[in-house]
Amino acid sequence: MIHDLKTRKLSPELIVRIVVGVILSIYLGWRIYLSIFGDQAYGPDTWLRFLITGLVIGGIYALIAIGYTLVYGILFMINFAHGEVMMLGAFVGFFVLEAFAALPTPTEGNPELTFLNAYPVIALILVFIAGAAISALMGYALEKIAYRPLRNAPRLIPLISAIGASIFLQNAAQLLFGPQRRQYLNPDLLARGSGWMIQVGEKSVMLTYTGVFSFVLSILLMVGLFFLVKKTRLGKSMRAVAENKHAAALMGIDVNAVISKTFIISGLLAGSAGVMWGIHNGLFNHYVGFLPGIKAFTAAVLGGIGNIPGAMMGGMLLGLFESLGPALLGIDFQLKDVIAFTVLILVLVFRPSGLLGEALSEEKV
Amino acid sequence: MMKTSLKSATRTGMIFGLVFIFLTLIGFIVVGANMFGGLFVKSAENQNSVRVDAVNLLVFISLFGLLSGVVFQKRQPDAKWMHVVLGGLFTGLVIGLIAGGAVFLIGILHVKGIDLRNYLPNLGPDTIKFALFHSTPLSAAQTYLIFFIIFSLAGALLIKVISLGDGLKSVFDQVKARAAEQVDSQQLRDLMKNKFFLVGVGLLVAVLLYFLPLMWGSYWNYIMGTVAIYILLGLGLNIIVGYSGQLVLGYVAFFATGAYTFALLTAPYPHAIGLNPWLAALLSVVVSVLTGLLIGLPILNLRGDYLAIVTLGFGEIVRILVRSDLMTPFTNGPNGITNVGQPSWLGDVFSDVNYMHFLMLIVLLGLFVAKRLKDSRTGRAWIAIREDQTVAQATGVNTFQYKILALLIGAAFAGLSGALFASRNQFIGPEDFTLMVSINVLCIVIVGGMGSLPGVVAGAFVLKGLPELLRELSDYRLLAFGALLVVMMIVRPNGLLPDRTTWFSRPVPGKDQKNYDEVNQ
Amino acid sequence: MKFKSFAVLYLLFVVALSACVPEPVEEIPEASSEETFPEGDNLPQACLDDAFGCAVIPSGETIKIGMGAPLLGDYSMFGIDISQGVQLALAQDDGFEGWTYELIAEDTGGLPEGGAAVANKMVTDSTVVAIAGHIFTGSTDAAMPIYEKAGLPMMSPSATNPMLTQKGSAVFNRLAFTDADQGKTAASLLFDQLGIRKIGVVHDGGSYGQGLADVVKEEFIALGGEVVAYESITPGEADYVAPLSAVASGEPEAVYFGGYAAEGIVMMNQWSQAGLDGVLFFGCDGTYGVEFTEKTGANSEGAIAASLVPPDSDEKTRFDAAYAETFPTKAGELSAFTWSAFDTGGFLVAAIEQVAFVENGTLFVPRGALVEAVRDLDYVGLTGRIKCDEIGECNASGPTFYKVVAGEWQPLDLGTE
Repeated sequence: MIHDLKTRKLSPELIVRIVVGVILSIYLGWRIYLSIFGDQAYGPDTWLRFLITGLVIGGIYALIAIGYTLVYGILFMINFAHGEVMMLGAFVGFFVLEAFAALPTPTEGNPELTFLNAYPVIALILVFIAGAAISALMGYALEKIAYRPLRNAPRLIPLISAIGASIFLQNAAQLLFGPQRRQYLNPDLLARGSGWMIQVGEKSVMLTYTGVFSFVLSILLMVGLFFLVKKTRLGKSMRAVAENKHAAALMGIDVNAVISKTFIISGLLAGSAGVMWGIHNGLFNHYVGFLPGIKAFTAAVLGGIGNIPGAMMGGMLLGLFESLGPALLGIDFQLKDVIAFTVLILVLVFRPSGLLGEALSEEKV
Repeated sequence: MMKTSLKSATRTGMIFGLVFIFLTLIGFIVVGANMFGGLFVKSAENQNSVRVDAVNLLVFISLFGLLSGVVFQKRQPDAKWMHVVLGGLFTGLVIGLIAGGAVFLIGILHVKGIDLRNYLPNLGPDTIKFALFHSTPLSAAQTYLIFFIIFSLAGALLIKVISLGDGLKSVFDQVKARAAEQVDSQQLRDLMKNKFFLVGVGLLVAVLLYFLPLMWGSYWNYIMGTVAIYILLGLGLNIIVGYSGQLVLGYVAFFATGAYTFALLTAPYPHAIGLNPWLAALLSVVVSVLTGLLIGLPILNLRGDYLAIVTLGFGEIVRILVRSDLMTPFTNGPNGITNVGQPSWLGDVFSDVNYMHFLMLIVLLGLFVAKRLKDSRTGRAWIAIREDQTVAQATGVNTFQYKILALLIGAAFAGLSGALFASRNQFIGPEDFTLMVSINVLCIVIVGGMGSLPGVVAGAFVLKGLPELLRELSDYRLLAFGALLVVMMIVRPNGLLPDRTTWFSRPVPGKDQKNYDEVNQ
Repeated sequence: MKFKSFAVLYLLFVVALSACVPEPVEEIPEASSEETFPEGDNLPQACLDDAFGCAVIPSGETIKIGMGAPLLGDYSMFGIDISQGVQLALAQDDGFEGWTYELIAEDTGGLPEGGAAVANKMVTDSTVVAIAGHIFTGSTDAAMPIYEKAGLPMMSPSATNPMLTQKGSAVFNRLAFTDADQGKTAASLLFDQLGIRKIGVVHDGGSYGQGLADVVKEEFIALGGEVVAYESITPGEADYVAPLSAVASGEPEAVYFGGYAAEGIVMMNQWSQAGLDGVLFFGCDGTYGVEFTEKTGANSEGAIAASLVPPDSDEKTRFDAAYAETFPTKAGELSAFTWSAFDTGGFLVAAIEQVAFVENGTLFVPRGALVEAVRDLDYVGLTGRIKCDEIGECNASGPTFYKVVAGEWQPLDLGTE
């Protein structure tokens, strides 16, 4: 559309779009103005709370979205089972924490002390490593079993295979671990529902420890990934394979190995996201990966699929829209998913390749 | 050669071993063993239940071992006898060690009184005792080891023996050739074209279709009715995805608008409009088509995967909006709409038998329409667009028009199905229209065979009717569904009953290497 | 694709299906009912006279009582607890002239859509004679018209919304108190006894939750209080900080929640984050149960909910013992309705035995007669005397309120407030 504007091609379609865009912007701007400055407006403390929630969940969405975008960039397929990889990470984290909490390490002053609370930092590190590692393994296995045999098939076939894998994994988790919701046993150091209190006027807003922890860890992982893709040899190979598989093979890159490693990395990120979800939100069951998976995929498309900074941005933006959107627009909180999808649709209508555009090769599908 | 044999054996063994452990942990070995055991061994009424259980489990293990041997041997068809024997033994050994070891561990924990049901709810004491043959962990593990080794070997040997005689394939070919000699195929083809024959078959089919709903009871009428509605949905999505190649993941949006239109027009609450159900059904179709227009126009030029996610978004938006407080005065929100209108003919409300007949008629009509569309100029345009949109445009096909036409016709089918669903179910609510419905219909279309009409019917039966037949396995139904999808895509990506005019029947290079080479001779 | 493929396909499908068809049963469609029930040439007169025909139960089959309950997922505690209570009642009964009772409980997921699906399935089984349920209001509401058309009487131990009996249904009856009572009592408790003047109201959008929340809102305002916020949440989510923050911005002294424990737990755990520290959480019978206290720990100290515990009696003690022996949880732990579930089972069995009769070795249960019998029956159970009025309300005792003290539910003692 921007291109059309530049060449001054005024088709009726373009005019309709411009008019609709202007009307929408005015309306939205007015709603937002009302909700910030009107009589019924929320106080600054409430806005801060919305912002904090949005950022934390945005970080988690961003991690999962990067996984989607990595796989799409290389294989042009939507890895529907990615949400289940995150779910597996959540389960692994749960079991490891339970194990640590059952390991007694009594001391003089505290006969009931367990490993979890005696060495919380080590415990957390181990939990994350375990969750990320098993998820990475799951990603690898998924690729090997469900996607590799379909490497050359038309695009819809691996999609159905991915859907099948997703359903299988969800139900396997349900049958193995039961349908009831589990609750994470956080170490006391990082207990849920407690945090720093920030004074905003007369009120105080809680900045939870788990929230900050999740957000910081998300940023660190994203920075790490960015570094990996831009500076390391593996990253270069990944970009080469994404650009053109056959040429990369001719250059001596082991395409299969690179693809496996991509799945492993996306699994690592999803697993960490799963553990974070458990630590911050506490409750989860076998279904926990489904909705965040879809939302993260939406976020990846929002930022431009195949584009890693795009996925990060898309994830963050989606989290913020979900949290701030209903309040800004003065609508029900029930409709937050509608906001997310509407934003996606509007962005794609006016900018079909996503916010940051695609970083894909010319090989169109 | 030996080393690769052993590696392959280890790999097969490990995979099967892990699968066995998985099946144990989800409690499937009890259900599965009783099922398979029941097939082979008829147990008397008053036989010792411990023995029955043990026999069933042994049968299960034997079949499992046999399968592992078969899979192992299939990977290396040209191995020497020695390798076959050693490989089979080794596979069995690995499985036996892994599975037997796991059962041994579980048994020890059980003996010590440690209950893992908090974490693994399906690992109850009954399951554990069953897995242990109701005896000690050590003897059970030994039994596992022995039986796996024996039957793995048997499986490998079986395949080797079959492959000696030019394999199973040649057996089938010989049978086919001999059958072909008996029957003059030209006569058969003439018969098929004979008008009287066709009319005769048609009449027979019609008579059968008429009497079946009367005979099989209201439960099956209900199930088959669901299958019929899903056939209609599949036909509609088949036009969008199968014929014109647009991946739409939000098909449920049209289903929902059709169903809600019908329900809102005919139910006494929230708006007591009380429209004639036939008119309401017509209006449902119209509203669905309008929804298709509304959704389709802005997004039709998006690329494949983007179109998919945007339509998914629309599907969710429709569901959430219908459920929301905003629309509750209009749609009754999460409480749904009860007492949806029932169709009636000449004063009598449809009974379940009448309903089934009616649904069959509609399905036949739908199949007819879909078939005529496919063979028409429109259908060819769609196929051209699906194969390569740019080339189609270059040859003068107005892609935009045809794409939106496909979407609208698909929406129409969905609208009609929605009206039928609402009326038959007597109640609809927003959670009847989740993303899973879209995914189910997509699976029906693709598993059945994209673009193929018998495929859609077959897909609907397999994915919606089959789970009802296997009710004892109801807990494991979705697990099997997911596994089936993956396996089907790997083994038979063209679908159950593939469409023969499609590109997909061309050999897939790399996968169908032999066919590829043959074709390119 | 040629027409012959069509023909072949249909032939195959039809042939395959005929292999699965059970014995053909001659059926004559009933004029006034949706479903057809099997009839032979020698049906008893009572069945032919009955508007809905008879349920025919051959010897060897069980007399089935159906139930639509949330058995899987977040609300399963209710379904499991209540189905266990009914099961115990059926197991303790000796049966009728050689036929035993069986509970067929199917999962509704706690949704109205699930309720309709289960109802559609139940009416196709001709050996189901009555429904102990459904459990959740929304699912009961969706299923009612379907059972009405088929002539299946319902007795629900837990569906509490008042409008269910306002619809003029002949088949629906309930043991549970109504939300009109619960809401009024709750509002009065908040205003009069706890002295609270500003509340926020949250609900989950379902008929039960929103119905209850609306009653409380109206009552509280009528008493003179102020409702500073009214928000709805979507069930099944993991994060309610945003809507709760919106409620907090109105500075309420207490928040009333109409909904189920699954959502209540998530909200309770995010109470401080949302800025609701020190604000009272006032729940309902849906938020009662051991799962609530277990999964919230210290966060739920002081929360209030409603339950339906009958007065102590020998029968109750015996039931509690039997329940604890048979099932891994205790009566009243998972939900408030274990005892009403037991009474529901006993009540339905008594009604069935009033109208059922045996002829030629087959058991017949006239459906229309059973519907009336259920409405007219006078029964004494654990929870007291159960007698339904003309619209199907069978219980006079209202809810009792409980409070979380040191991680356990204790009866709310207003003397010390």
